[in-house]
Amino acid sequence: MEYLAFIMFGAVFVLLLAGYPVALTLSGTALGFALLGSSTGSFDNAFLQALPNRLFGIMTNETLVAVPLFVFMGVMLERSRVAENLLDTMTALFGRLRGGLGISVMLVGMLLAASTGIVGATVVTMGLLSLPVMLKRGYDPAIASGTICASGTLGQIIPPSIVLVLLGDVLSSAYQQAQLDAGNFAPETVSVGDLFVGALLPGFLLVAMYIAYLIGMAMIKPALMPVTTDIHVTSDGLWLRVIKVLLPPLALIVAVLGSIIMGIATPTEAASVGAMGAMLLAMAQKQLSLARLKDVMRTTTQVTSMVFLILIGASVFSLVFRGFGGDDAVREILTSLPGGVFGAMIVVMLLMFLLGFVLDFIEITFVVVPIVGPILLGMGMDPVWLGIMIAINLQTSFLTPPFGFALFYLRGVAPAQVSTMHIYKGVMPFIVIQLLALAAIAYWPGLATWLPGIVYGN
Amino acid sequence: MRLLEFWLHRLSSGIDLICEMTGRAVAWLTLGMVLTTFTVVVLRYGFNTGWIAMQEAVLWMHASVFLLAAAYTLKHDAHVRVDIFYSHFTPGRRALVDLLGGLLLLLPSYVFIFYISWDYVWVSWEIAEGSRETGGIPAIYLLKSTILLMAGLMILQGISRILHNLMVLTGIEQAEAPAPPRPGTPGAEL
Repeated sequence: MEYLAFIMFGAVFVLLLAGYPVALTLSGTALGFALLGSSTGSFDNAFLQALPNRLFGIMTNETLVAVPLFVFMGVMLERSRVAENLLDTMTALFGRLRGGLGISVMLVGMLLAASTGIVGATVVTMGLLSLPVMLKRGYDPAIASGTICASGTLGQIIPPSIVLVLLGDVLSSAYQQAQLDAGNFAPETVSVGDLFVGALLPGFLLVAMYIAYLIGMAMIKPALMPVTTDIHVTSDGLWLRVIKVLLPPLALIVAVLGSIIMGIATPTEAASVGAMGAMLLAMAQKQLSLARLKDVMRTTTQVTSMVFLILIGASVFSLVFRGFGGDDAVREILTSLPGGVFGAMIVVMLLMFLLGFVLDFIEITFVVVPIVGPILLGMGMDPVWLGIMIAINLQTSFLTPPFGFALFYLRGVAPAQVSTMHIYKGVMPFIVIQLLALAAIAYWPGLATWLPGIVYGN
Repeated sequence: MRLLEFWLHRLSSGIDLICEMTGRAVAWLTLGMVLTTFTVVVLRYGFNTGWIAMQEAVLWMHASVFLLAAAYTLKHDAHVRVDIFYSHFTPGRRALVDLLGGLLLLLPSYVFIFYISWDYVWVSWEIAEGSRETGGIPAIYLLKSTILLMAGLMILQGISRILHNLMVLTGIEQAEAPAPPRPGTPGAEL
């Protein structure tokens, strides 16, 4: 009866397109199929008896407590106008260089993405703040929009990213399961911290490649990225401003990441420090009123609830999927592919890339990774490497026309003079860069696994 | 007919009020989580001390936030949708999708979750289940009960949404204009 599992997968996919909330579509469809299956005798209801315990497992999962804390930190930073100040200062700093404005936008986007970890927020904020500035300074609309979309999606890969927390949690249980299946009853573990550390080099590699591309374009086609000439700041005043504006958010990121990497704090603890820091920062910039605090708390509550309801829906879905024997069927298919591990990886990555057009990172992490994760890891893949590959793959998917999420967000806030074609054209080079990075990490897995090995010594 | 309309409207607004108040109340717990976790960190690394109950309190707040605010989040339409087509639908078409979704997906899901969790929570009350950790909060049954509360609130809010969409479809009520995307919008992809 495995085919029912795949029919269910297809049915969920089609139903999702109707636009009803994902979390509810997942659980509702799965329960419908369970009912169908149990009435025809092909589904054992005992699988669903495990649901309350699963729910309680989600409620008491200590890793996932980091999610609301990181969301709190991100929303607080985003609402306290850190980005505006950063962008002004960076433009003053780099504006006189060729391609400098583009590089400033890229760096600010990276900092913002790293500190908030929210792609939608980064793309929209940067789109509102920097796109008009770039256009006014005569930047080519395609290059300007490509830069903003690409820097916005960095929030997924550059730690501390919320999606890496979710992915880390799912991968850690997948890794345990893979080793238990292989008869190893003292399994090794992989943590969110491992994934954070593993994502550092690939993240910086991407930023470096993005910037190299911008510099290259500025040299080859200077007309597309004119030099800014209308900035008059005395140099000592500027440096003071740079320190004043750049230091606090940078210190925050370094403190949060540093304490995780040094092994001093768990991601949850580091997130609370980050959230406190963000509040103090907002207070120092006189941006923290009671109204804003309430706004931040309510947004945090809604985002958190949204994430966890998907997790609940996905739990119901995966219980039913497993009840139909779907995971055994997936295992059979993946292990019988030509090309072994390589073939399986290509198929999974391609599938995720395509799913990324419709579903976002959270849903793919909760629905697809628990199914394919244990199988791929059982074939001997490194969990950190797999996580980073998934993260960059999905990041690419979100940049890819016509369905990439980042493009929708930018389209939503871009002025009319920027056409959709401009945006599509602008992101193309960045997609190529993404694919190059993906290939590089596939070829040299050390890019992802070397640093965690050094830091954690395993 | 008018009278029925009136009472259905009252029912829907009453449910909305309950969910809104619950959501606003638990929102404060996000701040509570930040402060408590930070205190745990300071106590551990600064003073080498700490209480299990304090760490569990963070877990409790966390679970309460995402469970009890689920209906509030639904009311604010902040549960993420695949809106490739949905965003181009007419208000009537959207109301139809939401009506059918509410009846066929939401209500069955959460009635089922309520039903299947009932015994699980009941057993916990019967044995007055405490924390697995020494020094933990000795009332796991309260924490487990939030599953039922959550499912109950979701069912209520589901009914309110269904009534609302019915009234939109029959032209009694105006559809709410969809909110344009803004930075940090809940539901914006992470």
